[in-house]
Amino acid sequence: MDKKTVTTICYLARLKIDKEKAQKIENDLEAIIELISKLQNIDTSNVEPLYNPLEKTALKHNDVIDSDNRKEKFLDNAPSSNEDYFLVPRVME
Amino acid sequence: MTWETVIGIETHVQLSTKTKLFSRASTTFGQNPNTNVNLIDCGLPGVLPSVNKEAFYKAIRFGLAIGAKINQTSIFDRKNYFYPDLPKGYQITQMDLPIVLGGSVEIKTKEGTKIINVTRAHLEEDAGKSIHDEFDGYSAIDLNRAGTPLLEIVSEPEISNAKEAVAYMKALHQLVTFLDISDGKMSQGSLRCDANVSIKKKGETKLGTRTEIKNINSFKFIEKAINFEINRQIKELENANSITQETRLYDSMKDETRPMRSKEFANDYRYFPEPDLLPVVISDKELKKIKETFPELPKEKLNRYVDEYKIPDNDAKILSSSKSLADFFEVSLENVEDKGLLAKFLVGDISSLLNKELIEINESNLTPENISKLINLISDGTISGKIAKVILDKTWKKGSKPEEIIEKEGLTQISDDKEIKKIIEQILKENSNQVKAYLAGKEKLFGFFVGQVMKLTQGKANPKTVNSILKEKLKK
Repeated sequence: MDKKTVTTICYLARLKIDKEKAQKIENDLEAIIELISKLQNIDTSNVEPLYNPLEKTALKHNDVIDSDNRKEKFLDNAPSSNEDYFLVPRVME
Repeated sequence: MTWETVIGIETHVQLSTKTKLFSRASTTFGQNPNTNVNLIDCGLPGVLPSVNKEAFYKAIRFGLAIGAKINQTSIFDRKNYFYPDLPKGYQITQMDLPIVLGGSVEIKTKEGTKIINVTRAHLEEDAGKSIHDEFDGYSAIDLNRAGTPLLEIVSEPEISNAKEAVAYMKALHQLVTFLDISDGKMSQGSLRCDANVSIKKKGETKLGTRTEIKNINSFKFIEKAINFEINRQIKELENANSITQETRLYDSMKDETRPMRSKEFANDYRYFPEPDLLPVVISDKELKKIKETFPELPKEKLNRYVDEYKIPDNDAKILSSSKSLADFFEVSLENVEDKGLLAKFLVGDISSLLNKELIEINESNLTPENISKLINLISDGTISGKIAKVILDKTWKKGSKPEEIIEKEGLTQISDDKEIKKIIEQILKENSNQVKAYLAGKEKLFGFFVGQVMKLTQGKANPKTVNSILKEKLKK
């Protein structure tokens, strides 16, 4: 864990952190990784990966429409919108 | 220097389910913006997705059709990235255990047939739509498409040129429409692909650096975009430049690819198992039912058309190659006696109209009711084949009913012997020189007389009646 990695992770998660905190976060993450990395010592080559701790499987919904139009409510709640669309700072490709 | 091209294609197929992959909002295309959206699609906190049964069944149908392994237990993963048309901040997709693994697709080009292996096909949710150029300083977001089920089909890098890439996409298009898992409408984005293109020196085993051309949505553009990209890469390498691994967009107006604005950081999607969804299990019973209700594929249709309806092989081949044409044929023939004539009409006149405008029959004004009526009018002698073409032209343009066109334009065929006899007598009188020549042995002139009759009657005379009366008259 170094400063650059912390900066990258924060960017990917869209988190703004101030410089004083960066050092603390770096130390904390370092400690967490160290703790977790103990798990790496266990031989798991014969263990099936656990995808979910619940020993259940997903319920599948039938392909039948059940939804009401809440366009106005959704748009009202958005930071910026017009009568039809959510408006966001312009993104171009 | 001789170069070899290596292409792998990722295809996104919108599955034709009524509801979204993780919610029960409608997937209908072309609705008012942001009306087909519910709490889940908009990514509100605290809501839980559930999986759409039908999306799984459709994905499995595809897997079975390409001889793939079906993972009866499959899981979803979370792919993290920020983009406004993806309101949750992540896309739910399948990484570790996709529903479909392996399989292959046969493609046909002028060089013959070739097998393209499929790496995998997995389910994921589509994003919303962004509009960048309508509102000053803003991008506008429509979430109607957000959550629509996609089947992403990933090919092995076994495609060697642009023509093969087109053939591969056509094969997939045929497959997904016949399997009835997608409407295949490329203009609406129901089938679109990303092409990974790289080149290497001939014989070299190591792959070159690839670029990815994003979101190509027509057969024509696939070919053009890939050819442009191959030539660009060759030029770069021959000028001793290197290829940058990047994502490019194809601009059909300028016929070129260019890099998408590069991100400040390389993307790191940080996949992990989707905690909001449990593993999805497909039971043996479900799998058996999917197999039992498997739709008819082109080869089976071809055989049935030949065996059951006695359609000539070539006509049957064309009818069975397109899902929309085959459907149209099958609905029309229920009310048609002369099925061979119907087939001939669809493969001939109607197909050439379709090809001219590059559309599928279900996108035209033609209806099975009107076409079966038209065929029956030919069969019972009400109209001639020539008049039928005039009527087809009109119903093609406006979708009007054949019987209405006939009445409006007075197009009924003249089968009345007396009337035709009168016309023939008049023609023979006016063309006495030709009659002499005919009687002297110039038998080719028979066609001339028929032509004159048709001209005078504007094509309305029954050709059979004309032929028999003419023969009789010219004997004397």
